[in-house]
Formats: sequence, C-alpha cells, structure tokens
Amino acid sequence: MTRYIIRRILQSIPLLFIISLILFLLLNNIGDPLTMMGGRNPTRPDDRARLARQLGLDKPVTTQYLYWLIGNDWTMIDVDGDGIPDIPGERLGVLRGDFGTSIVTRGKPVSEIIWDRIPNTLLLMVPAQIFILLFGVIVGVYSALRQYSWVDNAVTTLSFVGFSMPIFLIALLSIYFFSVLFQRWGLPNLPANGMFDPRVGKTAGQVAKHMILPLFSIAFIDIARYSRYVRSAMLEVMSQDYIRTAKAKGLKRYYIIFIHAMRNALLPIVTLVGLDLPFLLAGAVVTERIFAWPGMGRLFLDHLQRADGPVVMGIVMILAVFVIFSQILTDIAYAALDPRIRY
Amino acid sequence: MSKRNLFLLLAMILIFSLILAACQTAPPPDPDTPGDVVAPQEPVVDDDPVDDVVIEPEPETPGARKVATFIWTQEFDNLNPLYTNMWFSSITQQIWNASAWNFDIDNNPNPVLVTEIPSLENGGISEDGRTITITLRDDIVWSDNSPITSADFVFTYEMVTSPSNIVTTSYPYSLIEDISAPDAQTVVTVFEEPFVPWAASLWQFVLPEHVLRPVFDADGSIDTADWNLAPTVSAGPFVFAEWESGSYTRFVRNENFYDEPAKIDEVFFRFVPDDASQVAALRTGDGDLGTFISTADIPTLEAAGVEVFAVVSGYDEGWFLYFGEEAHPALADVRVRQAIALCFDRQSINRDLLLGLTEPAVTFWDNTPYANPNLSAWPYDPAAGMALLDEAGWVDEDGNGIREKDGIELTLIHGTTAREIRQDTQAVAQQNLAECGIRLDTLSYAPDIYFQSYGGGGPLPTGELDIGQFSSTEAFPDPDTSRWLCSEIPSDEYPDGINDQKICDEELDALFRLQSTQIDFEERQQTLWQIGEIMYENVYWLGVWQDLDTWAVSSRLSNVNISGASPFYSIAEWDIIE
Repeated sequence: MTRYIIRRILQSIPLLFIISLILFLLLNNIGDPLTMMGGRNPTRPDDRARLARQLGLDKPVTTQYLYWLIGNDWTMIDVDGDGIPDIPGERLGVLRGDFGTSIVTRGKPVSEIIWDRIPNTLLLMVPAQIFILLFGVIVGVYSALRQYSWVDNAVTTLSFVGFSMPIFLIALLSIYFFSVLFQRWGLPNLPANGMFDPRVGKTAGQVAKHMILPLFSIAFIDIARYSRYVRSAMLEVMSQDYIRTAKAKGLKRYYIIFIHAMRNALLPIVTLVGLDLPFLLAGAVVTERIFAWPGMGRLFLDHLQRADGPVVMGIVMILAVFVIFSQILTDIAYAALDPRIRY
Repeated sequence: MSKRNLFLLLAMILIFSLILAACQTAPPPDPDTPGDVVAPQEPVVDDDPVDDVVIEPEPETPGARKVATFIWTQEFDNLNPLYTNMWFSSITQQIWNASAWNFDIDNNPNPVLVTEIPSLENGGISEDGRTITITLRDDIVWSDNSPITSADFVFTYEMVTSPSNIVTTSYPYSLIEDISAPDAQTVVTVFEEPFVPWAASLWQFVLPEHVLRPVFDADGSIDTADWNLAPTVSAGPFVFAEWESGSYTRFVRNENFYDEPAKIDEVFFRFVPDDASQVAALRTGDGDLGTFISTADIPTLEAAGVEVFAVVSGYDEGWFLYFGEEAHPALADVRVRQAIALCFDRQSINRDLLLGLTEPAVTFWDNTPYANPNLSAWPYDPAAGMALLDEAGWVDEDGNGIREKDGIELTLIHGTTAREIRQDTQAVAQQNLAECGIRLDTLSYAPDIYFQSYGGGGPLPTGELDIGQFSSTEAFPDPDTSRWLCSEIPSDEYPDGINDQKICDEELDALFRLQSTQIDFEERQQTLWQIGEIMYENVYWLGVWQDLDTWAVSSRLSNVNISGASPFYSIAEWDIIE
C-alpha cells in the first residue's frame, strides 16, 4: 500500500506540471486585467503601457509562466520603462511556495488571499457534506427497503425535483420563501445573505442562522443524488444470494441490513464521496455568490471575472493537488471496505 | 482503514474547519458611548490570527448603536486610491478619506480640506490656466490627530508619480511640471499646459505622509503597505475598522473628525455579488442602501417601502457611429445618420425599459451646464426618417424589406456589452430600424473585450462594428474629453488612440482643443454648446438615455442626499431612524 501511495504521488508531479501549463495558457486568453483597471473608463494608454511593464504582463507568455513557476529573483527587471533593468526581481515562484501577488488587490500575496477564504468554505461545505451523506444514506436505504411504498414514491418524486432544479433556483426560491415571504407574513425569517447581522455581531448563533439557507441549497440537490445511488445499490445488494442466505439462517433484520447489505451497498458511494471531496475546498460557486458567503467559490469567480491570473492559478493548482489527494484517499478507502481489493 | 478510522477522519476534518473558522478576525470592540475617543484601529491583517476570537456572546442590547448596512455588489479591490479606479471603491473614499473638495447634489464643487475653490477671481487659478493654488484649512487633522498639511499633498504627488509604485493611473499628476508647498497650508501646482478639468481629477484624495513615508523609505514602494487594505489613519467622517475578505468592511465614526461628527456610529459594507440577493436584502431590511438597481426591480422595492433615487453620474449613454475605412458607406451620409436618429424610438426605451427615470439624451453632457439648452431630442418620426433615406438614394428595390444602394444593403452591425438593458435596447432598435428598411445585426461582448483599444483588438476601433453603445465618465463632472480629436484616431502607428469612431471633423477638433484651454466658465460653456450642436446636427453621436445611477435607500436612513460625482458628500449628516 505504501509503495502504491508513493507511486501515485510521484505520478502526480508531471500531471500537475501539465495542468499548470495548460491552465496558464488558457488564463492568458480569457481576459485582460488592465482593461478592467480603468473602472468606468477604459484604461488610459500611457497607464496601460506602464502597468503592463510593472506587472510583467508585457513579457511573452512563456517568460510569464517561467517567472510564475521558478520566480524572477535570478534576473533584473525594468521599473521605469527606460529599457534598462533596474532592480532584481523578487518573486520566488510556485516551486518555492510563492504563488505571487494579486493583480486586483495589488501586492497582497495569493496564499494570504486564499487562506482567508478556506475556513469559511470549510465551515459551509463540511457540514453540508455531512448532511448530504447522512440524509442521502438514510433516505436511500429507507427508500430501498420500502420499495414502491408511498414513502418510496414520495422520495423518488422529491429526488427528481431536486435533480432537475438548478441550484440558483433553489437558492433564490429559498431566499424568497424563508426570508422575504416569512417576513411579510410576520413569521421569524431567515437572513437573505451574509454571515451575520452587523447590528448584533459575528456570534456563533448569527453565523449558524446565516448558514441555514446556503446549507439547505447545497444539500437539497446532493441528498437527492446520493439517495438515488444508495437506493439503487441497496436494491441490488438486497437481491443477492448471500442476503437471502442470511435471511434463511434467521439473522435479525437490522444485522442483515447494517452489517451485510449496507457495507457492500456503500462501496459505490465511496466513489461519489471521493469525487465530491475536492468541493470541500473549492466551495460552491453559485451558492456562495447568491448568499454572499465569503468562500473559495466566490473568490475564484470574483478574480476570474477580473482576469486576476495569479489568484486564479493559485486556487486551481491547490484544487488540482486536492483532487489528486482525494483520489488517493478514495483508493485507500476502497481497500479498507472491500477485502478483495489489494494494491 | 476501519470504519472507526473513517469516522475519526471525518470528525477531524470538521474540527479542523471549525478551528480555521475561528481563525477569522473578529470585529474590534465598539466604542461604548458616542463620546468616547476611538483609538486608531490596527490593520486587519494580523500576525497571529489564532489569538482572535470569533465567537462572541450576544450583546445585551443589539441595535443600540446606529449601524447602516450598505449592500455593494462588488468588493473593494484596494482602499488606497492610488491602486484602484473601481467605482465601488472610489466613491467609498468620501466616507473615510477626504478630498480637497467634493461635489454637491448639483455636482458643483464644494470645499472640504480647502478654504475655497480655486478660481480666477480669488487667484487660485493663474491667468494662463497652468497654475492651481490651494489654501488648506488650518484646523484639519487626520483621525490620529496629526495635522493635515501641504506636505501630505506633495507626498501624494510623489507617490502617484513614483515609478516604483504600481498605481492604477498617474493622471493628471503626470501632467504636472512643478509642485511646491510654500507653507503648511499652501500647495502650488504648475501644469505643463493649461489644465481645465482640474476640479474633477486633482486632489480627489490625499495620503497621510506620516504613515506612508516610513513604508516608502523602507521598502522603496508603498505597493504592499498595510494602509492600502487597512487605512486606519484617514481624514473623513468615518475611519476604517475592519475588512474581512469577501464578506464585509466596517467603518466607524471618526471621533477626531475636524468637522461636525457623523450621526451614524458605523457604516457596514456587505458584499453581495448577486443582484437578486441584493434586492432581497433591501426588501427584508437586511440592507439599508444599495446601488445599480435594475429598473425591473424598482417597483418591487418601492412596494417594500424602499425609496429609489436616480442621480446623474456621468456622460450620457449613446450610439457611437463608426467612420473608419471599414465603415458602412451609408454612415458617411448625414441624411442616413439623421434617418437612424428619427427611426429609433428612444422615447419608448426611456419610458418602458427605464420606467421613465430618464429621458433620451440630447447631448453628451445632459444635466450639466455644458448641455446646449437650445437642442431637443430627435423625435421618433419613422416617416421623416424613411423620406431622408429615399432622398439619400437608399431604397428597397428587391422588396426584401432592406434598403440598398449600388448593390450594397443597408445592414449595420451594432455591438455593446452584455448588460441586460443594453441588450433590450438592441432588440428595440432592431425592430425600429427594420420598420424603416435598415437591418441591424446585434452583437454583445464581455466588457474587458468590448472596451479594448485598437491595439488590443477592440471591436469598435478595429471596425468590427458600425455602431457601438456605451457610456463613460471620463472627467465627469467636467466635460473635457479627447475622444473626438483627430490626433486620437488609432492606427498601427498609434494603437492606443482613443478616438474609437475614427472621426475627424476639423471644426469639431478645433473647438474641443479650444475648450480644453478656456479658464473662463462662460466662454467654455459657449464653446461646448457649439460642440453639442455640431455633434447633434451631424449625428456623430446619438444619445440613448441620460446616464443615471439608481440608489435604493431604506426608510431607516434619513437626511440622505446623494450626488452623482460624490455620492457620499454629505454622509456625516445622514442619520438612522429606528
């Protein structure tokens, strides 16, 4: 197993390199950060030329990638635009842990910008994932055990509603219902956005209250998704010979379900969880935007819109590493759950 | 891995996330009573965030302090004015920073840090228009009680023009030939040439030398100064307290403000990027003020008791007709251009799409003293438009509904940004012009692509479009622009030229150059009226609507006055009624 993990980690190094190269080239073509700097007016030509030089955006894309990767502290840079290099570069490059500085906030390290958002994302996404797992499994198992009952039919209908609704619609509807209409009806309403009421302060109660609607929006669709997978897997397992044998031997129902059926039925769920793990860090782009939740998803979108290459690259590379890590974790979980799997 | 271990792993992730969440900075303690002096706040970027505590007990009397919540759809990129041109950040400067002067509700300059607005009469402007002299009040102080002096202004100039600072724009400071501070209250600025739009662009911010000079001396630049993201020393009625990235920024009352102290205790900016969510927050009272409200949302907000203001905030929205070599030949004929004006029902766009908040723009500078009062909007008169097209020789010979001449169909390409109201306008214009036999093909672009220069491949300056539509602020509320100068026509040799329409009318060019040197207001006004008339008659530019910003203000806020150029010029007088 250890050799397998080491091999996987070593394989991921060239993969990350290729990912970074492709993303860097793509990012260089998705927008122009200098155009957006003018605010309501186009950036003035002389400012554009100066900014391009100062930010290193006038360099060929290969040079920009090289600086991003290994830094520019080994070369001199021209500060005043007279064509003569003035001072040594200060960037260390990603390979030495320096993701650079944001073009938008100018000077703020990318690592600091990302680190500011990770706690908020985890605060929202970890409970959401726990809710999704918990309710997805409970609803799926219950639905499978009561196949074609009215509960199963109701769950199936709700699942398809959840599947077919885009998350922004759920989010906006939940705001309209629980926030706007509840207030109109004189009921205690939930806050429409943000993390707390400034008139009260950032208390645990406030944060919890402001988490309810985004959590609900994220969980609703994924509970529907998970429950369908679990139901289908449970139905398949429950019709297996070994379950029939267990029943014939007179094993208690809860023992058959929880020990024999569920362990096997949950194997496909491990794949799902493995695929969803990176979202714990990536955040929920749409939900965070609508509910003004200051997480990674919104950070990515905000900086992508302003073509802030260093920040976007930083986020994407961290996610790429996390995707690889979560896939290794998934493989380990397979081995733990299924004794037939050996690496 | 056993199930127990998996459970432990999940539990550890949850605990880790909660610990990380607790690492977020907590709001600093609030002043207990309005009379207490607030010590300068430390920057939000702390060295040891783990020491901060986020979970606070519920206050005993929530709502006792007067906190106004402003909903901003874009987060500030930077708070140092040197490093941002972002509108949402720039207008906030008036809350916490101070300018030499701001602009009142009629967009007239109003002294703030200076004793009076410079003019020819008081000697603040030299006869040749090159020298601007300002005299500072002798009672102005920073929020840490240090005096604001002419040295701060000279330092500001140095920082803007220093090559080691990556400032967003060095305009207009790069045009200054010499600056001096003969005494602590006087700043003399000499421009290379007469500089008329000084009021709109000069000394709109000032930096605290005593805070930033040490940073510059130590680092050689102020690009990474803590003050940029946490300006704890400032000169406005409020002072920065805290900024949590992606979430909010707080400003609390500046107890050392040299003028009448603010009535509100705290201004809390919440960053809500989604428009629908912004409207929901305003409807439920979670927000007290929002801006850039879509006209479609105005009735809903008004029904919820939210008042909606519309203020003039820039030059008008209009059609910029293209005159380059690649232009459609019909646009060279003034009769065709006038026909377009007559066939395009701009009245209905203003009435139906903009709910009557605006009117069709007549000149580039409507609602300012520089709009020629003798002009009125081109009427919607398709019959007159079609007669002009017939006269110009553009007729529908093949009966396909589109006019042609010499085998060329009258098909024009119109492009604008993907903003909803602009796309709706395209649809209306397409239908209107089709009725006159003009086919309008429409395109929309992301703003960063649309506003590219000729060198950057922008669609209008490269001739991809026959008509562009947008509005700009440029030197608002000053009317100065070099957009129509012949020398600004972009080319391969001069790719940064800003005359995107590639129009060169020598009479217009001469008048634009003249107005940029006229110090006397009335003389300049006459010149600009003449310019407006030429542009109107020749339909070089066709106004679509008067550029207004919409502001939604909750009934909690009172005494609110918002100007287009300095929206928060009177923020200290705003109050909250509970």
